[in-house]
Amino acid sequence: MEKTLYQIFKTFFKVGTLLLGGGYVILPLLQSELVEKKNWIDDDELCEYYALGQSVPGIIAANTAIFVGYKLKKTAGALAATIGITLPAFISIIIIAKLIEEIIRLKFIQSIFWGVGIGVVLLVFLAIKEMWKKSVVDKFTCWIFFLIFILSACFKAPPAALIILSIFIGIWIEYQKKIEHGESQK
Amino acid sequence: MIYLKLFLEFFHIGLFSFGGGYATLPFLYHIADVQKWYTTKELADMIAISSITPGPIGVNVATFAGFKTAGILGSLIATTSVILPSFIIVVIISKVLEQFKHNKYVRSVIYTLKPAGCGLLAAVGVDMFINNINIPGMILLAGLFFASLTEKRDPLFYLGVSALVGLIAGFFNLTG
Repeated sequence: MEKTLYQIFKTFFKVGTLLLGGGYVILPLLQSELVEKKNWIDDDELCEYYALGQSVPGIIAANTAIFVGYKLKKTAGALAATIGITLPAFISIIIIAKLIEEIIRLKFIQSIFWGVGIGVVLLVFLAIKEMWKKSVVDKFTCWIFFLIFILSACFKAPPAALIILSIFIGIWIEYQKKIEHGESQK
Repeated sequence: MIYLKLFLEFFHIGLFSFGGGYATLPFLYHIADVQKWYTTKELADMIAISSITPGPIGVNVATFAGFKTAGILGSLIATTSVILPSFIIVVIISKVLEQFKHNKYVRSVIYTLKPAGCGLLAAVGVDMFINNINIPGMILLAGLFFASLTEKRDPLFYLGVSALVGLIAGFFNLTG
């Protein structure tokens, strides 16, 4: 199928509309749209972009979309993909946000939100579990996890400061490795 | 200047949140503490609504929080600025993709960032658990948790079940 900017936008708009309950369902969605229906990229490429999407800051679903968009039609394609994946979320919230101020006073709506709120806590737990499995792979990463957890939970440190701290730790350990490696070569 | 503040706050969320949809939550809770644009109770409602509306949850919550703070223009600014860092970073990385993939420093930073993102979210999870759940809520959460252990289900399954339980619990005044 032709890769016009409009087609790219439309495809990601569709993916954005079907994304419900958190971004973790994006991989199967993209697989069916981009690989099977459109044949724009293959399975390996998609998995690579998905992995890359997790390796840069921001929302994974959007990152993956932008990587694919760029691959299809450079910066303009990336822009079309960005707008496509974002717009459904934007529109649906704008429509709902006005309404919600009114209906949130209704007792049964509050009860439903109470329930959904607890469902969300579970989804957050499941997300933590998934992230733990993928990220805490040895003693060192376990230390990082608890360091950041304690600084955030007990000391209310700003999240951005903690992310910057982790970036410095990452650079520092690689630098140390390089020095050790250099010395062992001498 | 509320719009500039919105731009800066949400740009920094897009720039520093790491590890997926819920990774924006630690930042949004931090904003609730510092800027007082919304309460943590309102944020919890926004997150619940964002989970059952189309789109990546991080974008939904940003739009919502922007709307809450400064109307439609606020939501436009919040959404654009939360996505802008992604756009810039991904386009730049796409241009140097091979170097990026094989760079040792990049790998090392990602290796430390992943558990850090997880630690941040865990702090939010504990906070949500301690501050927003009453006894009937704990029972519901425990039930959902055991259901999740038996088999992997769609997120919408948990949200649907918990909405239904909420509706029923409301009739018996258990929702606090």
